[in-house]
Amino acid sequence: MRMSFEEISHTADVKIRVHAPTLEALFSETFKALMEVMYGPHRTGDILRVIRIESSDNESLLADFLSEVLFISEVEGLVFSEACIRIDGLCLTADITGELFNPARHSGGSEVKGISYSGLAVTHDTNGYMLDIIFDV
Amino acid sequence: MSKNKGECDGWMLDGINRIGMHEWEVPVGYVAGMRVPGRFFLSESLGKTLEPGAVQQLANVATLPGILKNSLAMPDIHWGYGFPIGGVAAFSIDEGIISPGGVGFDINCGVRLLATPLLHKDVAGRRDLIDELFRMVPTGVGAKSALKVSHHVLEGMMVKGAQWAVKAGYGVDRDLSRCEEGGFMKDADSQAVSAKAKQRGIPQGGTLGSGNHFLEIQVVREIFDPGAAKAFGLTLGQVCCMIHCGSRGLGHQVCTDHLKELESATKKYHITIPDRQLACAPITSPEGRSYFGAMAAASNYAWANRQMISHTTRQVLSKMFGIEYEDMPLIYDVAHNVAKMEEHVLDGKRVKVCVHRKGATRAFGPGTRDLPPDLTSFGQPVIIPGSMGTSSFVLHGTQVAMDRTFGSTCHGAGRIMSRTQAKKTLSGREITANLLKDGIIVRAHSENAIADEAPNVYKPSDEVVNVVHEVGISRLVARLSPLGVIKG
Repeated sequence: MRMSFEEISHTADVKIRVHAPTLEALFSETFKALMEVMYGPHRTGDILRVIRIESSDNESLLADFLSEVLFISEVEGLVFSEACIRIDGLCLTADITGELFNPARHSGGSEVKGISYSGLAVTHDTNGYMLDIIFDV
Repeated sequence: MSKNKGECDGWMLDGINRIGMHEWEVPVGYVAGMRVPGRFFLSESLGKTLEPGAVQQLANVATLPGILKNSLAMPDIHWGYGFPIGGVAAFSIDEGIISPGGVGFDINCGVRLLATPLLHKDVAGRRDLIDELFRMVPTGVGAKSALKVSHHVLEGMMVKGAQWAVKAGYGVDRDLSRCEEGGFMKDADSQAVSAKAKQRGIPQGGTLGSGNHFLEIQVVREIFDPGAAKAFGLTLGQVCCMIHCGSRGLGHQVCTDHLKELESATKKYHITIPDRQLACAPITSPEGRSYFGAMAAASNYAWANRQMISHTTRQVLSKMFGIEYEDMPLIYDVAHNVAKMEEHVLDGKRVKVCVHRKGATRAFGPGTRDLPPDLTSFGQPVIIPGSMGTSSFVLHGTQVAMDRTFGSTCHGAGRIMSRTQAKKTLSGREITANLLKDGIIVRAHSENAIADEAPNVYKPSDEVVNVVHEVGISRLVARLSPLGVIKG
């Protein structure tokens, strides 16, 4: 199954639909979608940050992970490009890499204020994993 | 229009009943578990913009414990998360809940209007003014403040809001009487604000942010109510400055942190919710009190932030036009994403309730407490921003609003087009050129930011305010049109 994310119509905010073969890939694609919404497609770099999260279910695990990415990105002025994610039960470890915010290349996006739980559900069938998620912008 | 109670219209969604001109009821049973009916205000011309998802969210709010009278929505209703945008709900202090889903991530996102002694001819075509404001007020993704905000200063912002800012030299005493709540909520609890939220707040004092936030130079084009306009300080042809922004990363983090805590509390207190974003706790519970204290602190940060941006704006205008700082009085400052403890009359008794306004503006009527003495006979000034190319409005609050909407009205035009669609159909460069033909100068860090917020992605602001005016939950005072805008 091909990994993908797409922006689907939502009046007030940004709604993303993600498909992936594994839960880890689903989280990784959602992370990339978040960064693309915020900073556009021109992202690279090898500055490493490690995130460890434990939550009560898959949806909370994802929302908590992305909220932590938002926090680090804002306070350290970092724009991330890649995530290597490991999930063990309801524990997540992510190695995320990126670069310092560069206004010339990263100003084309929208600031994401928060990760919404509205309509957030991670589903799984024989084709793999899927979710819809709303970013408040 | 003369439809009777309960009568349906072909253009309205099934299951919704007209109960008056521009007034609609979502009956109990529209979604399972509703405790009270939903009510919203919408004209036929705005009817095509109504999304089923927004009505569902309005009905979802009606399922929450302790909700009083109705789950309400203003004519700028649209699909959000948790509450719909434009949503208002009041809850019993003893039996009700408080929910971040009724406030949003951008706590105390709000808008203020500064008057100036300048006239249209003084600023028309002055690109240098817009350029200087764009240079001096940090805007957009990644923007950081040039101001040095220490932990001590941050504490002042969270506890005393605009009052702290004025004492620190970012304004004049009179500004405070022109802010909702006097510019700060007294129940703020900075201890309930996490270290992470504080870390995000420190570099962002005095920054505008991005998205729909803006600073706009406007001119008063029309006066509808000369008496109120005079009392508010507005005259025809006068140049004003409108500032729209909120609590920045600090507020976003407060919402994120407490949403998680309240998810657990929802289970702990056995509250059934139809949407996880409506996570909540009893108002009197430790979790509910903690959220309220942190939300109030973030609200105060937002008031301080708008006060600091006002200060920068006044300095720019003073320097460029040789006008005195004191000659740029604040008309008023309103919050439109907030939960407040307020007194309202229910069944003839004055009671304290918790009012959530999510994309809705307080519109207190004449004689209400919290109004300065010179405005008490007119009602609270209500500031309603339009989109980049369309008019903004000043209205006043009414007794009708006190009686029917817990003293609330609309907050803006309300989006009708997604950002995805906006980017496909409109180029930022074309929009900028078209606005310039109308005499409106736009500055932003990216073309996408302009395309995202183009005039036609919003409902026509005049139609929205006409509905609240005709329903009577606020009344028109003045119309202002844009001359120049800096976008976040």
